[in-house]
Amino acid sequence: MEELDTPQVITHIEHNINHSIFDCKWIPCSAKFVVIGSLPRGTGTLEVYEITSGEIKKIKEIERPNSFKCGTFGASSDVERRLATGDFKGTLEIWDLEKSCQMYITKEHTDIINSIDGMGGNVNNCGAPEIVTGSRDGTVKVWDPRQRGKPVANMQPVKGESKRDCWAVSFGNSFNDAERIVVAGYDNGDLKMFDLRTMSLRWECNLKNGVCSTEFDRKDIPMNKLVATTLEGKFHVFDVRTQNPTKGFAQVLNNDAKSGTIWVARHVPQNRDLFISCAGNGQVSLWKYEYPEHRYHVDNQGVSSGVPGKLKRLQRMVVSSQPINAWEWNRDHLGLAVATAYDQCVRVLVTTKLNLQ
Amino acid sequence: MDKVFEIQNQARNNVKELQTYMTDLQNWEAEMKRKEAALNGAFEQDLPPVRSKIKKEKPVVPKKKPESKIRGSDYTAWDKYDVDKACEDIDMEDVGPTSLDGKKSQQAKLEKLKEEAQYEKERGNTFVKQEKWDEAISCYNRAIELVKDDAIYFANRGLCYLKKDSLHQAESDCTEALRLDPTYVKALQRRATARERLGSLRAASHDLTEVLKLEPHNAAARKQLEAIKTRMGTKGAKSKSSPVSTPTSENKPIVKPKIQPKIVELPSEPAVAGQLMADDWRSGVGENIMVIRPVKKPPHLRSKRPLKSIPIQEVLLGETTPEKPPTRLKIVDIEDNMSQGDSNNNDSNKKDSHGKTDVCGEGDKKVASPESVKLVSEVMVTEKVKNFVAPVNSVQFMSEWKYMKGQWDAMAEYWNLIEPSKIPSIFANALESSVVSDVIQVLHSRRDTFRGRTAAYLAGIASVPRFSALAMFLSHTDKQMLSTLLEDCKQSENCTDEVIADLKNKYEL
Repeated sequence: MEELDTPQVITHIEHNINHSIFDCKWIPCSAKFVVIGSLPRGTGTLEVYEITSGEIKKIKEIERPNSFKCGTFGASSDVERRLATGDFKGTLEIWDLEKSCQMYITKEHTDIINSIDGMGGNVNNCGAPEIVTGSRDGTVKVWDPRQRGKPVANMQPVKGESKRDCWAVSFGNSFNDAERIVVAGYDNGDLKMFDLRTMSLRWECNLKNGVCSTEFDRKDIPMNKLVATTLEGKFHVFDVRTQNPTKGFAQVLNNDAKSGTIWVARHVPQNRDLFISCAGNGQVSLWKYEYPEHRYHVDNQGVSSGVPGKLKRLQRMVVSSQPINAWEWNRDHLGLAVATAYDQCVRVLVTTKLNLQ
Repeated sequence: MDKVFEIQNQARNNVKELQTYMTDLQNWEAEMKRKEAALNGAFEQDLPPVRSKIKKEKPVVPKKKPESKIRGSDYTAWDKYDVDKACEDIDMEDVGPTSLDGKKSQQAKLEKLKEEAQYEKERGNTFVKQEKWDEAISCYNRAIELVKDDAIYFANRGLCYLKKDSLHQAESDCTEALRLDPTYVKALQRRATARERLGSLRAASHDLTEVLKLEPHNAAARKQLEAIKTRMGTKGAKSKSSPVSTPTSENKPIVKPKIQPKIVELPSEPAVAGQLMADDWRSGVGENIMVIRPVKKPPHLRSKRPLKSIPIQEVLLGETTPEKPPTRLKIVDIEDNMSQGDSNNNDSNKKDSHGKTDVCGEGDKKVASPESVKLVSEVMVTEKVKNFVAPVNSVQFMSEWKYMKGQWDAMAEYWNLIEPSKIPSIFANALESSVVSDVIQVLHSRRDTFRGRTAAYLAGIASVPRFSALAMFLSHTDKQMLSTLLEDCKQSENCTDEVIADLKNKYEL
């Protein structure tokens, strides 16, 4: 009864691809998306699909010697729509998909780029177009497509410290031209927040399990909420509005060991308090973050600390037999999403009644 | 039953919802395709600069070729090496592209500099209008520092120098302005004026012809050129001797206001040639005037001998004359002998010590007639004292006193002007022991002048604050003189024993 009244996550199109796929991204201002993966022979592919009345049609395929791992359009304008990709060998490439050619290529990472995020391409007054990449070589590098060859910022462990595999990176807090924050999650459960304006580590904590994905609810506002998902079915939601000098940020932890690794969590672009989490057992869950009455309280010393809210699960649905490794909501159409899973299927999913919440 | 119905209803609603969603989706697909088709053409965005230090090198700044190093042995290359420019380049590197966006910011910087220079120029111009040449020059200096390639700033500074009679600087500034803008008429005119006054008539006339070429109807220039032509024609080689004239507005044609020797008419001395007459007139022969000559030499040719300080006394015009002539003439004669040559072939090297002309002869001339100098000064001093008024403070006193040093009559007379009772208030703490000694000697040697008041003076001096300290410095002779003075007082002034004893005590006799 209750479940019937809530949003429904429905697989609209399911398309089997006969190779591994790792990421999928909507091409801005279009009904197309690009699927990033690797062929069994170890080469990488970029495939462009278009949805037409319930069908998806491959309209382009690019093959490269190295397997691609991740991609983003975040640093590109809606007109140019250039895809930045990271591959298994640590190469960062920026593609013009129309012409099927690279606009930018650099190999500064020595190992696989696990995660990539872009910012500044399609929003005004929110800083320079930049790409952040996190790699197994332990470094997080920030790139500007206008600067060839060298990163504009490089976060790496100090000499002597062991290099951890960086699994997740994301931008946030980019509400003006100066401010910008990068959050990076590592395989040992470290979560680090780098301030790109001051070029310093702003905050860090350990989530005990390897961090698979991180995302701010919005990139272009003063940072509000941050979701970090980990192995063993856990994810943390931080209220990053209020930072306590000693306690850091308030957080809510959701633990569902049965579902396995939470591979990814993505906020609904049209409603920042809703997000979906994709688990290792092929289940997706739609969550709503409910704010507490007061988001922070000031203690008797005048130091404010955040107050965690509550998480409410709106819906869950098993959509795949294998882990879902990528999910992206469409920016232009509420409830429309594309997801890739290790069952070599790309799915277009629709979620109804999102606007009722 | 109801529940089942409700669930069915809900399910039906969900399906309906999904169907509408799907139609929506289809519409959206179509719309997106249309939208995408419309998407083309350039998309310009004002993006913030690239992050990090590296961005400083990246922007438009053209890649510099690695400069070839000059080998230590390559002397010819080092000769050509422009150190100033190299330094400037290095400086510019520091300030230049730091401001993020290469070309754009450099342009902006230049723009800003120009603006600032313009502002300085405006300020300079207002100072020019107020005829404050020095301030104006400093303004233009700043403007030139900011923007080095604007002819106007140089030309304006040239004008200021011209007004200040710094003719060489004026000329070089105008030259610089003309280098930047060869058709700058004002600069040409100013240079012409400067050159004319420097005596290089040919160059001046050349400049003026240039002006007339550019502006054929420039009446001022034409007039000036004519004036120069006449000067060149009439005087020929003598043209160079034109003395420095008073500054004239650059727009007016400069007709030399200084009277040339020829024009001087001295009918009373018909025997002497015109030239000589002029020289006599110049050096003040036959008149009771001391002629002060301007320095005509460039600084590096002037005498290296240290300047002698000679006290300048104020002499009231009317009263000085009577006693003067004899001594006066004497000096002038000496001077005349020396300077005769000068005035004939001018700016030659003999002017040296005349350069800084003072009231009395100086240096070597003094050697020639020491007695005359002394005579002058003594005469002047005595007569001066007559004009003296009693000092009201120690500074006034000391300035006069020092000047009279050694002339006991004068000192006595001057001291006589001072009221004994006012001594403490005049000197306060500033009385010097040497003065006390002098005064004692004066009182002693010119006893007659002070008859009847010696005791009062001594008492007055003794009542100066901290006199006891001064008393310690009195020499033996001073004390002897004091003793005789006090003896005198006792006898002739009927001073009581007490007063004498008190004074003796104070002077530590």
